[in-house]
Amino acid sequence: MISPEISRTLVLVAGLAALAAVAVVSVGIGAHGVAPAEVVRALVAFDGSGDHTIVRDIRLPRAVVGIGVGAALGVAGVLVQTLSRNPLAEPGILGVTAGAGFAMTLGAALGLNVSSSAELVLAGAGAALAAVLVYSVGRTSPLRLVLTGVALSAVLAGISLGLRLMVPDVFDRFRFWSVGSLAGREKDPVLLPLLLIGLAVVAALLLARPLNAVALGENVARTLGANVSRVRLAALACITVLAGAATAVAGPILFVGLMVPLALRPLAKSSVPWLTAYAAVLGPILMLVSDMGSRVLLPTGEVPVAIVTAFFGGPVLIWAVRRYGAGTL
Amino acid sequence: MSVRRTLAPALLLAVTLVAAGCGTGSADEPAPAAKAATRVFKLPDGEVTIPADPQRVVATGYAVPALIEAGAPLAGISSWKRGLPMMDDKARATYDKLPKVAGETAAETNYEAIANAKPDLIVIGVPKPVLADIDLDRLRSIAPVVTIGPTIPSAWRELSQSQADAAGALEGFDTVKAAYDAKAAELKKKYEKVLPQLKLAHVGSYGQVDKGAFHREFNGSWGTNIANDIGANYYGQVKVKGGGSKDVSEYPSIEELPAALGEADAVTYSVGPDGKPLPAVQYVLDSELWKQLPAVKAGKVFPVRYTEAATYGQALLALDALDQSLAPLAAQ
Amino acid sequence: MSALALRAGRRAILVERRTLTASAALLTALAGLALLGLCHGASWATPGEVLAALGGSGDSVVVIRDWRLPRVLAGLIFGLALGVAGAIFQNLTRNPMGSPDVIGLDAGAYTGALVVITVFAGGPLLLAAGSVAGGLAVATAIYLLSSGGGLSGLRLVVIGIAVSAIVTALNSWIVLRAELEVAMAAAGWHAGSLNGVDWADLPVPFVIIGTLLVVMAGSAHAMHQATLGDSVAAATGVGLRRLRLLMVVVGVGCTATVTSVAGPIVFIALAAPQIGRRLAGAAGVPLLPAALTGALLLMGADLAAQLLLAPESLPVGVVTTAIGGCYLIWLLAKEVRRR
Repeated sequence: MISPEISRTLVLVAGLAALAAVAVVSVGIGAHGVAPAEVVRALVAFDGSGDHTIVRDIRLPRAVVGIGVGAALGVAGVLVQTLSRNPLAEPGILGVTAGAGFAMTLGAALGLNVSSSAELVLAGAGAALAAVLVYSVGRTSPLRLVLTGVALSAVLAGISLGLRLMVPDVFDRFRFWSVGSLAGREKDPVLLPLLLIGLAVVAALLLARPLNAVALGENVARTLGANVSRVRLAALACITVLAGAATAVAGPILFVGLMVPLALRPLAKSSVPWLTAYAAVLGPILMLVSDMGSRVLLPTGEVPVAIVTAFFGGPVLIWAVRRYGAGTL
Repeated sequence: MSVRRTLAPALLLAVTLVAAGCGTGSADEPAPAAKAATRVFKLPDGEVTIPADPQRVVATGYAVPALIEAGAPLAGISSWKRGLPMMDDKARATYDKLPKVAGETAAETNYEAIANAKPDLIVIGVPKPVLADIDLDRLRSIAPVVTIGPTIPSAWRELSQSQADAAGALEGFDTVKAAYDAKAAELKKKYEKVLPQLKLAHVGSYGQVDKGAFHREFNGSWGTNIANDIGANYYGQVKVKGGGSKDVSEYPSIEELPAALGEADAVTYSVGPDGKPLPAVQYVLDSELWKQLPAVKAGKVFPVRYTEAATYGQALLALDALDQSLAPLAAQ
Repeated sequence: MSALALRAGRRAILVERRTLTASAALLTALAGLALLGLCHGASWATPGEVLAALGGSGDSVVVIRDWRLPRVLAGLIFGLALGVAGAIFQNLTRNPMGSPDVIGLDAGAYTGALVVITVFAGGPLLLAAGSVAGGLAVATAIYLLSSGGGLSGLRLVVIGIAVSAIVTALNSWIVLRAELEVAMAAAGWHAGSLNGVDWADLPVPFVIIGTLLVVMAGSAHAMHQATLGDSVAAATGVGLRRLRLLMVVVGVGCTATVTSVAGPIVFIALAAPQIGRRLAGAAGVPLLPAALTGALLLMGADLAAQLLLAPESLPVGVVTTAIGGCYLIWLLAKEVRRR
């Protein structure tokens, strides 16, 4: 019999292999058909032709962004569900998504969003400020955290809607930004957000064991030597960076942060370190698969990836709940 | 027989009395329009009786720039931020002075403010689906309502004429239209040896565009309908017709750029009133795939300004800008 | 604990003193807001003019009686309805975040409205019908998909979230693909507005809401018993299945009726019960404070929406979300400090 540690490691390795395979396949799929042989040639022997440019300059960066955003949302989902002790929580519940959206709207109304970098900074700053506000009011209990997050999201969404209904250009800008997508990001300054995501994922993995203790309950946690409030704060900071960076780069993508932890629970039970590790692999896989769908579903143009994940993840969630019951959550 | 003879005059008398009574009754109504002459105005889906010579017109939506330009007697307008960048100083001054009686969205039409402006005609210039948010009955209780809204991009010509007609401002409208027609004919002649033969493609940016996609406009779309007037021909058709503006433009992914624009002899692209490409267009211009296009390599790329022209006055500006931009072609 | 027993013949209700005080205060505030609402407009009227106009004389009869009065009354009645609907759902799901949207009414109504506006270019009547149809369709779908789990189960909530997310994604897609003015018109409807509400729009909704509220008032006590737990409720003779069905019908009915006239003004159903509960100092989620708070929130927000950027007015849904959310945050912050 293999020990659980080894079997879990094997699953992780298999997951990484699957991720690599999906990444390669995703580089070969897009609106303009490119033969698989050409795709491989584009990666190893670039010759500057149109097809090769498409593969190297458009699809490859897109796959990288997809991996980053997927990992960020998956890990953030695990953290937020652990922190709020709510199996239905997703990263936006702490107001991060609403904060980014509000900052985008306000920035557009004030004329601040002059370039892609400005937009990224706006979204990131909005996400961070919202998270700080939610934490400062709701830090005492998971329930209050969620309640405050929902209330703040509603307030920001309301004010943002009011602004948008008064300035058509802002409405137009926002309706495109608000549906998360991985398209067209190859020219954006995504290096910094992706780096931040990488650091935060590592931090989350390091944080996973103390967080595991905290999830068992405050008293148990203290007995196990974990500093509860500091761990909570660190976890919230991780969630903010992960969800904030992902939203800043790709726009709001709702389902990934919810689906990934739910799908992994049968595998990792409630071991937070393993959940986090798996989420960092399954998130990107889910993201890349959805992105491929977004590129091929329509005869012309694309379906934004946030819509694909909702249309794909929603029925899966419903099926899972009907088949396995809500108690397994 | 005798019953009919006695009934008929009685009936005639009754009808006359009723008509007279209605006639005098309307003078007591709180509505401001007194005994003005009226005429019947034809709309695509019916007729409306409107004053023959309106003195106080309330305009909303696309009718705002059209009526300001035609010099209609406006008493109140909706705010219309979309039209501001294209207004010249005179129009902008008029816009700023007029009281705003409605916001950008139809749902927040301020009925009391409109009533306070005491209009004798209300011209609504929004697309038909938007009318669902407006209480047309309440507006009709204030003044006759004419709804003339945009359908396809090049429809602004008929629309602005219709709106000016309803507001009794055809004279001002006709002057500007004549100037435009003259200029268009002049430019058509100037470019007739070089322009019609070219297979053209247009990269546009009407409003926002999905990231990672570009706006391809064919004949009759915003960026192309004025160029069409001077003989330009944009080859090709949309892959999937979607009604309205989607019949004449589409949003392919950037990957499809070589396939879409590969056959073009020359490419035009939309820029803002200041001449700088809009972000969606800049994205295309920065792309490697753009630089590999035959038309781009041959240097045959031309920026086009004022592509959102929705009145003849704005279209005149667009013609001048086109002339400036296409000058290298004529020089050949 | 100080409570009053109000007797009417053989029937008696036990009411907390604090609830009573809070309710009385709310009622006074409501009356004041109603008067203010009637006075306000493109040109302010004095209270004297308002009273005269209500009687039928004066220059501004049409404006005050035919334009402002329906709007103020709609704010009052719809606010009551939404507050009650929210309280019902929070009791049903035993979750302070429960709202009619847990069964997808808001998202579904938006889909219905979007389809009517973009595909059929329909008028206001079709819009109302479409939104109700859409909301009820999604609610039914959620109910059917979660059948077997019971109305208060976690299964319903999860499936509600999943279906709402799918429907919301569909809505975003339609908004994205529509022309800008059409998209803004749909969004303006979705924000909820009491602008343009006429007397012709009100009789049917008022009758429906009135009936539902009266029916609910009769079962209010049973509902509070049920929140103590299923077994306690069953032991004290409450017919749980029938009660839950009744609650859902009342909740959905109230929400759908309001949505058909004014568009979805969701946040009131979410915030009013929580605010009302804290004002009345009650342990559970009582119906009367929720209803009165809902009315106060809606009427106040409507006034604010008209005043903030006159003469341009905001949709009332925007203001209710902003005000309600801020107040909720403030209440939460106060609670934290008290600990």
